[in-house]
Amino acid sequence: MNILIVGAGQVGYFLCERLSLEGHEVTLVDRDQEHLNEAQDRLNVLGVLGNGASAETMEQAGIKEADIVMAVTDLDEVNILVCLLAREYGVGKRIARVKSIDYLSRGAVLSKDKLGIDLMINPDDAVADELANLAGRAGTFDVAEFVGGQIQFLGYRITEDSPLCDLTLKELGEIRGIYRFVVVAITRQGQTIIPRGDDTIQVGDSIFIFAHKEELPAIQYMLQIKEEKRRGPRKAFILGGGRIGLRVARNLEARQFNVRLVERDLERCEKLSAQLQKTMVIHAEGTDIRALLDEGIADADVVIAATDNDETNILCSLLCKRHGAHRTLCLVNRPEFLDLAPSLGVDACVSPRLSAASAILKFARRGNVISLATIEGSNSEVLEIEIKSTSQVLDTPLKDLSFPRGAIIGAIVHQNSYEIPDGESSLKVGDRVLVFALPEALAKVERFFE
Amino acid sequence: MNINLTLRILGALLLFLAIALLFPVPFSWFYGDGASGAFILAAIISAGCGGILFSQFNSEKDLSVREGFAIVTFGWTFFALFGALPFVFSGAIPSYLNAFFETMSGFTTTGSTILTDIEAMPPSLLLWRSLTQWLGGMGIIVLSLAILPMLGVGGMQLFKAEVPGPTTDRLKPRIQDTAKLLWGVYVLLTCVEILLLMAGGMSFFDGLNHAFTTMATGGFSTRNASVAAYNSAYIDWVITIFMFLAGVNFSLHYLALRGKIGDFIRNEEFLFYSSLVIVGTALITMLNIGGTYPGFLDNLRYSAFQVVSIITTTGFGTADYELWPVLCQYLLVFFMFIGGCAGSTGGGMKVARILLLFKHAQVQVYRLIHPRAVRLVKLGDRPVDKDVMQSILGFFALYLGVFVAASFVMAATGMDLNSAGGSVIATLSNIGPGLGSVGPVDNFAHVPAIGKLVLAFCMLLGRLELFTVLVLVFPSFWRK
Repeated sequence: MNILIVGAGQVGYFLCERLSLEGHEVTLVDRDQEHLNEAQDRLNVLGVLGNGASAETMEQAGIKEADIVMAVTDLDEVNILVCLLAREYGVGKRIARVKSIDYLSRGAVLSKDKLGIDLMINPDDAVADELANLAGRAGTFDVAEFVGGQIQFLGYRITEDSPLCDLTLKELGEIRGIYRFVVVAITRQGQTIIPRGDDTIQVGDSIFIFAHKEELPAIQYMLQIKEEKRRGPRKAFILGGGRIGLRVARNLEARQFNVRLVERDLERCEKLSAQLQKTMVIHAEGTDIRALLDEGIADADVVIAATDNDETNILCSLLCKRHGAHRTLCLVNRPEFLDLAPSLGVDACVSPRLSAASAILKFARRGNVISLATIEGSNSEVLEIEIKSTSQVLDTPLKDLSFPRGAIIGAIVHQNSYEIPDGESSLKVGDRVLVFALPEALAKVERFFE
Repeated sequence: MNINLTLRILGALLLFLAIALLFPVPFSWFYGDGASGAFILAAIISAGCGGILFSQFNSEKDLSVREGFAIVTFGWTFFALFGALPFVFSGAIPSYLNAFFETMSGFTTTGSTILTDIEAMPPSLLLWRSLTQWLGGMGIIVLSLAILPMLGVGGMQLFKAEVPGPTTDRLKPRIQDTAKLLWGVYVLLTCVEILLLMAGGMSFFDGLNHAFTTMATGGFSTRNASVAAYNSAYIDWVITIFMFLAGVNFSLHYLALRGKIGDFIRNEEFLFYSSLVIVGTALITMLNIGGTYPGFLDNLRYSAFQVVSIITTTGFGTADYELWPVLCQYLLVFFMFIGGCAGSTGGGMKVARILLLFKHAQVQVYRLIHPRAVRLVKLGDRPVDKDVMQSILGFFALYLGVFVAASFVMAATGMDLNSAGGSVIATLSNIGPGLGSVGPVDNFAHVPAIGKLVLAFCMLLGRLELFTVLVLVFPSFWRK
């Protein structure tokens, strides 16, 4: 495909990387020569210098031949203009990154359609929602929902006291009994593998499972992840009162958390206090551990570090953990840092780029992929695929099909039921299939189901 | 201070008063009470003085904040001074001081009276009493803004100086239009009440008078026994409801008429006001059980009427609350300080200010526990500006200060403790009847001259919410 990306910021760079690796023709437009050079040097993309909102620049970048335009600059207005331009040039798919609620809200006068945008994404909001989801689910560091929330994709870290330690998957299969779930991947020292029956779960691993939401309590019990039994609501600390921090606070307020939001700028504090109802806004530095201890960080259920500085976030998370906070979630922009989380003891690292990219990639993919999630620290993906009547894999037991290596089917959802597949399972029209795939298998998986 | 402009506008206001003075004349002819001459003479004097001021002084400059304060304060004083003339000319109230007290009590919608036998008054003068309250209720200046185009520029200064409450709503971009809308709602509600009262058996004359004084939360009646004279549950309830409505911010009424009834429920001040009325009524009904009134419905009716009458600072009486249990009286005194909502015709400190004071106190306590927490005082979902909060604190301190100082003076004139405090809060909060010797079945005739002047000043202070008047006392106000 011919893809035109406007804006060589972090989201743009990440998209370029992913899409060029998948073999697409990517052109990048930006006003900053340095950013362009960086991308051109490291990635297999073409850079065009200029303003994305100008028709001349866009023609130069080949907008006439583009299949998809992704406008991901920092400015809403530029992104919107790019999409309007792209519509005039007849580009099929137009994606814009938009921050302002004026454009995003459902009742907006200038709706998505009028602005010529097929998909509007907001990385900050996406990551804030992800953080709030993680905060709401004890023990997990990665959560994605599929088939309308029925099937959950969860990541767990294996610690020394975990009952799964040193079990092979076969043994796990015996003790798990009636609980239906499947371990689709293990990440060990930065490497993601799809485990077989004789692979062992070790300390320090991250395991990924698919499970139906009704079985979650039982699974949590089995993994000995107990929701803290305490009187009153759970206590959450959010460090950094930027746009993301504010949205997380709102989200957690709605989930009946007792929220404390720490922000170092007094004026911003007042604005936050005006916008939030129940949250306690605290004027302090995130590293001022005394102030945080005074407000009770020692028995916090979850600490979310969401300042705009990666290093601060990681350090604050560690500091809070050291002083007794149960779980720490960390916002990290640079992908290099994402892998650090397990070894440092941060419970989860979340990146706005990954969240945004996952949304964009899902949309950009052709065909029958409905939903998609990207996995922390690796390029693996979870795909939700709908089986069409034209598919060649209908009504044949899975063992008779040559399913691609480097991928695994985690769950099949029929009209009214679901199953954890084995060799005898077969697919019917209208089924939704959840597939975990390593990067090299992605393309094959998509082809397989066609 | 732009004296020329101030005097010119005051002249215009006096011309306007002259027109108002002619309103009772047809009634006087109809009833043949012989007071028409007094009104016409008063109108001529008012128009003469006004005409001289208006034509002799002029200024090219616009209104500033200072002129706003001066015009409003002196405007109200002039209205009371000239509005008192018909009482004196007709011989109904021979003492000019008494007439001035009565008129000031009228315009400020207080309702305190020096009359011992109201029913002996000529009907046209009774109507004039009620009319002063009706004009003062929504505000003379606001009415002038709606009618006189010359006040357009800088009108917001006048508007803010007169309309009660910590902040002022602006319904329309043009201040004149806002004034017109507020007066429109006011007139509409008044007309509806006249019809409802007449349906309950009141004559047109009595209905007109009582509707005027209910909507203004004034409390002048045409009967010696006030509303109790009609001894009708229907009339009591109609007046209770309209007093309650008059104590609500008129912007809310306007929005409700435009179909936005939900705004009532979203308005925190209105909710607090309603709950005060409901809780107060419930408490007093309970305390009165088995004592004052035999039946529950009568009990509820008298209790509700008195609670609403006091909190809206109307001051109508259907019962002598001084015979009620002491706790009931105590509750009523508490309500006397609170008053109606901001932007209503009620007096007192206003529900919004009390509500914000409590919230402010709450935040202070909270900050002692969490020294680093940042928490704002909010009304509804919106944070309250720090300046507004500070002005409310200042207002509260001044209100108490004025109350204490004026009570001292009243006590010095020889009044007992109850009456001294009661008379001051009754006038400062623009209620009317107080406690002790100025209670609901008494009047202010026996108060010494100096006391009447102090109380009249309290009425003005209360109606214009202290700052507008007190700012004139500072010497720096008069310097260039």
